[in-house]
Amino acid sequence: MASKTNQPSFALWSGSKIFLALAVALLVVAGWGIYAYSQELIYGLSVSGMGDIGTGGGAAWGLYIVFIVYFVGISFAGITIAALIRLFNLERLRPIARMAELLTIISLVMAAMVIIIDLGQPGRGIINLLRYARPMSPFFGTFTLVISSYLFASLVYFYLDGRKDAAECAKQPGRWQWFHKMWAAGYKDTPGEQRRHRHTTWWLALFILPILVIAHSTLGLVFGLQVGRPGWFNALQAPSFVLMAAVSGIGFIIIIAAILRSVPKLRDRLPMNIFTWLGNFTWILLIGYIYVMAVEILTSTYTAHRDEVLLTQQLFTGDYAWVFWSSLGLILTSFGLLFGQFLRRRYTISLLVVSGIMLNLAAIGKRFLLIVPSQTHGTLLPYDAGSYSPTWVEYSIILGVFAIGTLAYMLFVKIFPIMEIQETGKGE
Amino acid sequence: MRKKMFWLTIVTGLVLAIGGFFLSAPIGPPINSAISNPRVPFSPTVFVLGVMLLFGSAVVYELTPGGSKEK
Repeated sequence: MASKTNQPSFALWSGSKIFLALAVALLVVAGWGIYAYSQELIYGLSVSGMGDIGTGGGAAWGLYIVFIVYFVGISFAGITIAALIRLFNLERLRPIARMAELLTIISLVMAAMVIIIDLGQPGRGIINLLRYARPMSPFFGTFTLVISSYLFASLVYFYLDGRKDAAECAKQPGRWQWFHKMWAAGYKDTPGEQRRHRHTTWWLALFILPILVIAHSTLGLVFGLQVGRPGWFNALQAPSFVLMAAVSGIGFIIIIAAILRSVPKLRDRLPMNIFTWLGNFTWILLIGYIYVMAVEILTSTYTAHRDEVLLTQQLFTGDYAWVFWSSLGLILTSFGLLFGQFLRRRYTISLLVVSGIMLNLAAIGKRFLLIVPSQTHGTLLPYDAGSYSPTWVEYSIILGVFAIGTLAYMLFVKIFPIMEIQETGKGE
Repeated sequence: MRKKMFWLTIVTGLVLAIGGFFLSAPIGPPINSAISNPRVPFSPTVFVLGVMLLFGSAVVYELTPGGSKEK
């Protein structure tokens, strides 16, 4: 029992000065973000760079929508990996299951926060959504499937999966014992409880997988079903969203796993073969994404409608060219890095992390390119081209949301084992 | 006890989800606000609650105490 209660993944960084310094820095950034949001609440969305499409010469969906899509995207990989581990007994990946599940929950909460921030009148917006949402609208799907069902299902999975470790932690006296006891909810690890837990998580995993594919496709359909908007109306929007979500999400998990591996206690628990698996899975998914991207570009340039061609020209050589070519460069470079390691059968964590960072930057760029140019240069009516530049308020709020999410992740890792205690016993 | 609670949660969730979905979906061409709005206000919330109950049944199944046989 002692080996279990002294398991290394519990209470990481307790009393660490680096942890405290980072937490204070994140609190400052979060506070700045809250101040920026207060400006938006007081003065309205006029403090943002957004404006009306067409007559206003702007974009009504800006940085907030870019990051809603991005945050929902990175949530994809977490619960997918957890579900795949459960359904196909991928024991090798079990050490990263909980960190992946936590990433899903926190990124979905961050997405929900940004949705609220994007509403000029958050209270009114939320009430109307609860009151008037219609299944015929993809927004209904985003609200019910992405934020409610998907987040709730992930929370249920996360809660049930953590009960056993919570019961172990509850045996140790400490400041958070009440929390662990509450989470454990009387769990005693009897054969009956173990059997029930296996059944429950298997069925949950089975239901979660299709729901999250549908949820991410629905988010793609918010854009893909808009027939009057060049650049959006596209049958490949949904699969493209799913693939990019998976790629950026796994890239993010590689980064988190590498950071946790730098903690000496956890080094042995996160062997190289986990990173190898994640890296290989990423380049396989990237092939799919690059294929979809190539087909989209070919379709929009070959014999497309004049407005589609004009919009694509903007991406290639116009105002957004630097974002387009940077994102493409990052995607191709990270593919080269990952595939090169696969060919040489030699992997380094630093290169995998670099690939993960590049893929996430590319994901943000690609989301920006999807959302903004179609509004500023994609109108079918004879309006002049518009422009959109985010203001300091938008940047500050997004940074603040990132800081709150990171802080939440760090605090969780501090009070709860980020890897299963049972696995530690085996490893030791 | 456990099985009863579990099935009760599942069935309630299913009824709320299906009911909420169809009450949120007006049938007919969207020519006026009566058709544009859900048939019953807050029916989307009922749908969401139903889906949550469906997933929540997993928690009920694990946390509800079993009968004397199991003990």
